[in-house]
Amino acid sequence: MGLDKTLNFDLLQKCLGCGACYDLCPSSLHIEGYDPRAVIGDILQGEHEKWLEHKSIWQCLECHHCLEICYQHYGFENAMTAMRMLATKKGLNPPQVKRGWEMFAKTGRLGEPAMPARKKLNLPEPAASGKEEFVKLYEIYKKSKEAASEDKGA
Amino acid sequence: MFWGCTIPARFPFLEKSVRTVMDALELPYRDVDGFTCCPEKSLVNNVDHGMWTLTAARNVALADELDVNVVSPCTGCVSNLATVSSDLKSNVAKREEVNGYLKEIGKEFKGKNKLQHLVPFLHDDVGILKIKNALKKNFRGMRFAIHYGCHMMRPSHALRNDDPLDPKKFDNLVNNALGAESMQYMTKLTCCGQGLDRVDQHDTAMDMARVKLRELKSLKADAMVLCCPSCFLQFDNNQFLMERNGEKYNVPVFYITDLIGLGMGYSVEDLGLTSHRVDITPFMEKWHHMECKRDHKEELHDELSSMGTFF
Ligand code: SF4
Ligand code: SF4
Repeated sequence: MGLDKTLNFDLLQKCLGCGACYDLCPSSLHIEGYDPRAVIGDILQGEHEKWLEHKSIWQCLECHHCLEICYQHYGFENAMTAMRMLATKKGLNPPQVKRGWEMFAKTGRLGEPAMPARKKLNLPEPAASGKEEFVKLYEIYKKSKEAASEDKGA
Repeated sequence: MFWGCTIPARFPFLEKSVRTVMDALELPYRDVDGFTCCPEKSLVNNVDHGMWTLTAARNVALADELDVNVVSPCTGCVSNLATVSSDLKSNVAKREEVNGYLKEIGKEFKGKNKLQHLVPFLHDDVGILKIKNALKKNFRGMRFAIHYGCHMMRPSHALRNDDPLDPKKFDNLVNNALGAESMQYMTKLTCCGQGLDRVDQHDTAMDMARVKLRELKSLKADAMVLCCPSCFLQFDNNQFLMERNGEKYNVPVFYITDLIGLGMGYSVEDLGLTSHRVDITPFMEKWHHMECKRDHKEELHDELSSMGTFF
């Protein structure tokens, strides 16, 4: 899969000569070995594969500091997100992300209201969950995606 | 009110605190049937961007249907909903695709109502004066370290509620409504780092928490004030885990409405503060002590004034 479809390589090229966001990026400042430009350099060379199993790409906190300070309004985060999505497609996402997604896809939520604690705190009944409608929507979406990929395959 | 998943599931006591203050200020709000996860970005968007967009669009469509503005006490929820909403408003083809799916469940995304986090809502719509006047006791003399929470104001093109790199509204609430001092410190705008706990990197998450806790310990902050359940998890629960291993920072952690509620005269129990992991007793003692000192000063002031000679 070509990353040039999802990422703007011209903008990324500018990162190599810039680096303005390092001073604001919490992961660059505080996590040893986290270096988005190293990843971007390899993406531009077509050598991104070696990062797919690397924990770096999951260390971007999506805090949007790079996006806000970037003179191109692009930011390191776009490269990191694209890498995570690609890693996920290949099943290389961390187990916790897999579990989180499964729960989401089944219930539309990432956790159910804590009933005993709510009672103790005298909180009202939680509003009805949208689970049923969500599951229906997900089914419709999945079917249409499957149909689209079959069309492509044929 | 968009509660999200984390508050009702893990921190119902935060819900208690928010509801108590909303009720006391007599703000009209309602729960909405049918809201799902916002959805959370790292666990959902990384796996399926289409479903991330569609789910957020459905939540916004529910608010459209009822014609209500959305306020959330979770920074992540607001940011995700607003990001999708602004994307769909500027991308007609995507919006049409999304609405094609939503039509099949009888919904339509319009995105015509306001999406706001609780802090800017308190600041802009409720107003500092109203909150200040509702307090029986203020926090003069106390030094609070605000932790903004990245997603309260970023990405700014979607949220449009404060300066993304130099925000002011939370500071205004702490300084002017609570009467405390909002400390200026080096790592004030640094991300909490809790996201790492969602991608199997717990040790690095703990290291990120230490960045702020270390600084706040050395600056002797009276408390950390924040506005997001994920940041709360990072600084209260994870700080407690460190404490259990003998690594002590003694930085009590409060959600903004905890402090407004205390100032209004609600008790620690009323606000669910007994469920916080890091001990808040030293904070309560100091606050009480400051108040006695103040009373004493005021007495002296009154006495001197009545003598008429000095003033
Ligand atoms: S979004 Fe990611 S890459 Fe950008 S500043 Fe935050 S942690 Fe760094
Ligand atoms: S993302 Fe923007 S600010 Fe950061 S290095 Fe690239 S061009 Fe510079």
